[in-house]
Amino acid sequence: EETGDDEGFEYGKGDFSVEHACKYCGVTNPACVVRCNVPSCRKWFCNSRGNTSGSHIVNHLVRAKHKEVCLHKDSPLGETILECYNCGCRNVFLLGFISAKTESVVVLLCREPCLSVNALKDMNWDLSQWCPLIDDRCFLQWLVKVPSEQEQLRARQISAQQINKVEELWKTNPDATLEDLEKPGVDDEPQPVAVKYEDAYQYQNVFAPLIKLEADYDKMMKESQSKDSLSIRWDIGLNKKRIAYFVFPKEDNELRLVPGDELRLRYSGDAAHPAWQSVGHVIKLTAQEEVALELRASQGVPVDVNHGFSVDFVWKSTSFDRMQGAMKTFAVDETSVSGYIYHHLLGHEVEMQLVRNTLPRRFGAPGLPELNASQVFAVKSVLQKPISLIQGPPGTGKTVTSAAIVYHMAKQGQGQVLVCAPSNVAVDQLAEKISATGLKVVRLCAKSREAVSSPVEHLTLHYQVRHLDTSEKSELHKLQQLKDEQGELSSSDEKKYKALKRATEREISQSADVICCTCVGAGDPRLANFRFRQVLIDESTQATEPECLIPLVLGVKQVVLVGDHCQLGPVIMCKKAARAGLAQSLFERLVLLGVKPIRLQVQYRMHPALSEFPSNSFYEGTLQNGVTINERQSSGIDFPWPVPNRPMFFYVQMGQEEISASGTSFLNRTEAANVEKIVTTFLKSGVVPAQIGVITPYEGQRAYIVNYMSRNGSLRQQLYKEIEVASVDSFQGREKDYIILSCVRSNEHQGIGFLNDPRRLNVALTRARYGIVILGNPKVLSKQPLWNSLLTHYKENECLVEGPLNNLKQSMVQFQKPKKIYN
Amino acid sequence: DEVRVRQVATHVDPQEEAEFDKELRALMQESLDSRKLELRARPALNMTIPINMLEGSAKDHSGRYTEGESGDETTDIAPEGNKEVQVKVLVKRGHKQQMKHMYIPRDCSLVQSTKQKEAAELEE
Ligand SMILES: [Zn+2]
Ligand SMILES: [Zn+2]
Ligand SMILES: [Zn+2]
Repeated sequence: EETGDDEGFEYGKGDFSVEHACKYCGVTNPACVVRCNVPSCRKWFCNSRGNTSGSHIVNHLVRAKHKEVCLHKDSPLGETILECYNCGCRNVFLLGFISAKTESVVVLLCREPCLSVNALKDMNWDLSQWCPLIDDRCFLQWLVKVPSEQEQLRARQISAQQINKVEELWKTNPDATLEDLEKPGVDDEPQPVAVKYEDAYQYQNVFAPLIKLEADYDKMMKESQSKDSLSIRWDIGLNKKRIAYFVFPKEDNELRLVPGDELRLRYSGDAAHPAWQSVGHVIKLTAQEEVALELRASQGVPVDVNHGFSVDFVWKSTSFDRMQGAMKTFAVDETSVSGYIYHHLLGHEVEMQLVRNTLPRRFGAPGLPELNASQVFAVKSVLQKPISLIQGPPGTGKTVTSAAIVYHMAKQGQGQVLVCAPSNVAVDQLAEKISATGLKVVRLCAKSREAVSSPVEHLTLHYQVRHLDTSEKSELHKLQQLKDEQGELSSSDEKKYKALKRATEREISQSADVICCTCVGAGDPRLANFRFRQVLIDESTQATEPECLIPLVLGVKQVVLVGDHCQLGPVIMCKKAARAGLAQSLFERLVLLGVKPIRLQVQYRMHPALSEFPSNSFYEGTLQNGVTINERQSSGIDFPWPVPNRPMFFYVQMGQEEISASGTSFLNRTEAANVEKIVTTFLKSGVVPAQIGVITPYEGQRAYIVNYMSRNGSLRQQLYKEIEVASVDSFQGREKDYIILSCVRSNEHQGIGFLNDPRRLNVALTRARYGIVILGNPKVLSKQPLWNSLLTHYKENECLVEGPLNNLKQSMVQFQKPKKIYN
Repeated sequence: DEVRVRQVATHVDPQEEAEFDKELRALMQESLDSRKLELRARPALNMTIPINMLEGSAKDHSGRYTEGESGDETTDIAPEGNKEVQVKVLVKRGHKQQMKHMYIPRDCSLVQSTKQKEAAELEE
């Protein structure tokens, strides 16, 4: 419906009753508007600038990072998706018009690669006058008209600030309008978390909205991660399923793919192939940063095509649903946790209780290394208390201690023990150690991860079901074989298969001493009828409270939370939820409630020179060294450490940082070049790539270093490719012999971003066993109090150096006064 | 009735402008980089102008806006007199080529060279 005359129109209001009205200003002229072609968006915008530097459509595309548009059906060209005439590329930031040499014919052509194809020059096209679609922050005005003065007068006046705000709002609520910006509630902060709660309902009232916020944000982030024009390499897995390999570019602000994630792969079709799509699970991420996607259906896959595929994220609410479910159970089911734990978790005054159990004579466990004094103390105290916290600083044997605790719990005969951690990697490590004690362990994996390879595959439930070797199970085996060969079963066979499988799963799970799974995995329907009186959660400081609650509400009477609140906490993507306190773990809240963590005190990882600063800065100097200087002497390694016996230095860098190509990250070229020199020196002296880790907080720098090393490194390329370059976060829980830390930020006027968080710095500094090199700009870093003391520590130890690597000299660079910390 | 007119001389905050420019350039650069990385193989060319679509649409050497019987489109007169020139836009619908008409400014660089060449040809 077109708008009528001027009659009754109001100036400055816009007309939003029409579907194709510009979502910013309400201009409705079909010749002036285009539709954003991103499936989750599909909003219309006009080509007028209003009060902003770019036109509304360009503003939207830039702010939302959307890149495709479609013209209106009543515009001169009719409903047309703008795309390259030659290759079909729809990225408007690459498109422009060219004209024929002799005819008045024009086509859209992309700048890369079509415009640079040499053969085109010989054809009838004039490539010299390529005319970009977006010029001066506006679409070509003869393609998408600028609304008339009159139309602009009618339109709503929207400011750049409002545009930014409404774009932010659309990320979580695509239907929001500009009016919603003014509505109370949108900008309101949610109720923050508390230390104590009246009851479980109040607890639920606080956490449920935070989980909802995080879930909405996660959904928005993942669903906006569609990528186009991907190239695919096809393969077939051992299970005969089709696997697609492709590179999935990532950015700092985006979630990383992990095995188990569900993606939809699409091909829009061509003359020889119909349009096709299939859903699959990520089964691995290769060292070359390729994603391996196992497709669910192998029929009709266009395996002879390799280019032009698109991929979308299939968002699953499962983990959030399970958190909400656990909170509900906690509130309504009196048997979900013991009365003592119920009151204690909510912060009510309860009389201290001891668990009446006969203590074992020895606190170690078969198959595990001997425990040290603080580990023995931890095991002993934990076994006597209904709630305990164990703090395990880096390298202090958290996993061994946990395994010993689980061993003794299982031997107490109170039923099966449930062992969880937020990450699959941690669950696998723990499952392996517990299994080493001789206990019967079942590792329960999410169905979506069954194809993901695991170091403890023999412990997984799906493996055990398949390999259970009894004659009664022959029926199940027969059906399984049939299913594997044919891909599917008849509906009656499928029914039989499922029932048999379920029964077998139950049988195997019930006979185990210990069930291991992720916190979210504890909400798996396959555990629905299980009860666990004793639960241990490792890495609990990396889980949100509602996540931790999932394993607890299965009847817990005794709980052990293991973690380290001085290392990184859970990753919360939604800033609003993080500000309200969702990033605070249950472990930390229990500390606030007065539960004193038992700290493991002997570290077996770092050269004593490397543990000194972290011990003093993060653990009140309590960290003792379980390794000697001699045990961490890298014999035969010729590396220019400025002080022998102190395998560490801070390498002063004055290079400027830059914004990365993606515009969302940072990089520092000088630092990257020096990282390569250090790596090469290590490699030349006999260190192997697997011993080296390069840590950098920014994705832009990570990508740049990887690229730079393989292009400019003087040794074999393969050597550099094998070196792990990653963020601090992805090194948490792991170690390397040598760590190189590239700090990147050198801007005088801005903060130091990621490295401002003391917990992140702690993790970065405590990954190395034999040596560490830090690259950064002391002038900038010294403004932050913790970095200032780190720099001072290095300087006092004559480890603050500059100059070429083969001639390092002590640096006299002046530090800045640290700013006061506010919070 | 009182008519409210928007503020005249809209002021664009230079900082906002600079920030927006940075984002826009980053997006352009990222788009370019991603193509350079992904499409190592050169695409096949598929750029011929279908002859049948040109037939009947007599070359418009005079620069007047009379369009021949090009078939699907009716004759259009440029809305703003002589300042605009009609071009045919070739698009693909799936795999079918289609010809559309559009007016573009006479001084647009896109048509400048064609016009010059045509003028030169005429002189010969
Ligand atoms: Zn959009
Ligand atoms: Zn508009
Ligand atoms: Zn192209």
